[in-house]
Amino acid sequence: MADINALIAKLPDLDKSPAVKGARSSPGRLTGPPWKDAQAIYDAVLAEGAPAIVQIIKTLKEVDDGADFKARYLLHGLALYTGLGEKKREHETVVGAFISELAGDHPKAVKGFLIGELQAVGGKNAGDAVAKYLTDPQLFADAAGALLAIREGAAEHLRAALPGAPAGRCRCQIVQSLGILRDGASLAGLQAAAEDGDADTRIAARWALANIGDAGGVKAALKGADAKDWERIQGVKACLLLAEKLAAAGKKADAAEIYGYLESTRTDKSESYVRRIAADALHALK
Amino acid sequence: MHQRKLTRRGFLQGSAAAVAAVTIVPPHVLGAQAGRPPGTAPSETFGGALIGCGGRGGGTFGQMKGMGLNVVSLARCDVKFKDTCDNKTIYTDFRRVVERKDIDIIAIATPPHWHALISIAAMEAGKDVLCEKPMTRFVAEGRAVAQAEKRYKRIFQVGTFGRFGMARQPDNIQVRKILTSGLLKQTEALYVAQRNFKVKEWSGKIDLAPEPPPANLDWDMYCGPSTLAPYVKLRTGMTHRGYWDYDGGGLGDMGQHYMDPLTWQFGLDGTAPVEIEASAPPAHPVVAGMWAWAKLKYANGFTLVLESREWGEPSGLASKGVSLADLSSALTDADKAKLKEMPDPRPLVPFGEAVKTRQPAGGNADAAHRTVCIMHLANIAIRMGRKIRFDPVTEQVIGDEEANRLVNQPMRAPWHL
Repeated sequence: MADINALIAKLPDLDKSPAVKGARSSPGRLTGPPWKDAQAIYDAVLAEGAPAIVQIIKTLKEVDDGADFKARYLLHGLALYTGLGEKKREHETVVGAFISELAGDHPKAVKGFLIGELQAVGGKNAGDAVAKYLTDPQLFADAAGALLAIREGAAEHLRAALPGAPAGRCRCQIVQSLGILRDGASLAGLQAAAEDGDADTRIAARWALANIGDAGGVKAALKGADAKDWERIQGVKACLLLAEKLAAAGKKADAAEIYGYLESTRTDKSESYVRRIAADALHALK
Repeated sequence: MHQRKLTRRGFLQGSAAAVAAVTIVPPHVLGAQAGRPPGTAPSETFGGALIGCGGRGGGTFGQMKGMGLNVVSLARCDVKFKDTCDNKTIYTDFRRVVERKDIDIIAIATPPHWHALISIAAMEAGKDVLCEKPMTRFVAEGRAVAQAEKRYKRIFQVGTFGRFGMARQPDNIQVRKILTSGLLKQTEALYVAQRNFKVKEWSGKIDLAPEPPPANLDWDMYCGPSTLAPYVKLRTGMTHRGYWDYDGGGLGDMGQHYMDPLTWQFGLDGTAPVEIEASAPPAHPVVAGMWAWAKLKYANGFTLVLESREWGEPSGLASKGVSLADLSSALTDADKAKLKEMPDPRPLVPFGEAVKTRQPAGGNADAAHRTVCIMHLANIAIRMGRKIRFDPVTEQVIGDEEANRLVNQPMRAPWHL
């Protein structure tokens, strides 16, 4: 095998002079090589196949302080380069190496880097490997982000993770992700999450139900609109979003129920803008 | 009852006690936010808040006075106020600010990764918004802001005002009129923008060791929707611009200033480029870096070229066909007669007037979104290292699923569009 470390070292060093004169500037910025110079390095690595990519990953350090910047930059460059169109096989090799090493013995921070790369270029086959981190206290947000980017198969993984997700940010992350995916199969789980002890999770669940656009979300949305302060504002948001979706789907009676409720209950002057929106929408429904 | 005269310095130095002493009746109490007829509030004074108090913050808030708005500072919010926050006039969490019923207008001068979310939250709470540039960090955020502006019937103005000056010049009005008239089905017009995009200055650094955040900084809230990265000082302050987590480098940060007048003049503020390519080194996943040029072609053939002059070879292109004389010469006499019958574009409504009359502001969310999308799309081409095609209606990259992932980027809970 070619000397991988020597290939990594071929990438240019960081700038030795400040980017510009001035107090805010300092050395250490990355100018990077022209694509044609980088491609020669990428091709040399790719010629060695998956073991070379795995070897580069193994050089990554837990703390990202710039010491391994060439390896990180090279891995990202390989992912982009092989995504150009004619290099499908090489792309699968690169992504496959990311997937296999995500299951390997690496520090969490390195796994976070790999999940980030899979968010950029991973496909459905990365889903299983990424989903294992959906309830990891350090990596759940990265994992959910990657699955949302990959999209295909993401809802199944998120739906499966929801019941066991720890309360708080992690559960909230999964709930809002299911909402973004408009996963109709998650209605029951989201309805339960709308009664969660954590306000952010309740808000996310009501929004998720609204974004799905099912009439089964009406009760939760209206309850949110009766909450206080931020949760109330977000409850109204869920109401309006759900009503718009229901109206667009021809479910005018359900939409009217929401608008009618808002029109009759937003009696304080500070919420008159909501009352007016609801009244206008009710009028438009007729 | 009295009105306290605010200056920019006065705002910045305003003590909690002084702010709390303001007793005028803001318009919201009288239903101004619901679109009351102008002039019904006895004071014409608006309750205001500034979210993001470093950098441009004071200037952004202070600008409103010059717009004919008497805005009284009732709250300041910044993630750097962790040690002084009292949740009465000084906040670290913007949600506590938008909950307040006595605030009518919110000025936003946080780093850009917060612009969309706070703008949307403010409008959901019935506030009008003056938001610093760049309006957003990625494409989908801008559409969400525009939807909130429409849904809640609020006023939004981005903190770039170049289009207002552009729109006052008769020749510029004619250029816009021709380019939006539909009389030129296709145009070979090309505009090369060589500006100070501060490419090197606002590129990020990747050789910094993580350190503990300062005691006064709520680092988790600072990161907000973006990755909870280990703290390094350059991720905050003005240098945040070099990190994709918060901004789009010098291009993302400066571009809206430069493109805002042009998108108005060229009638590009209702659409988006359809083909985008760039010359740049391979991108880094964390920091914004160098680029030479980005070429953005619209469906009607109009091409916009951005040149950095800080890396690589320039595009080699020169502007052509954008002068009024060139455009006019492309029209037939019959077309010229038709053009004469067409109305001039509507004058742009300044933010202050928009707040009072409830007309859309000249730099409203939809127009500002279309402008900032130029930079977002150029950055996508730079970051992907390949040409992309974009659908201005669906606002999706066509045929490149990986590039499309940068159009709508995931957010860390509890934040979402």
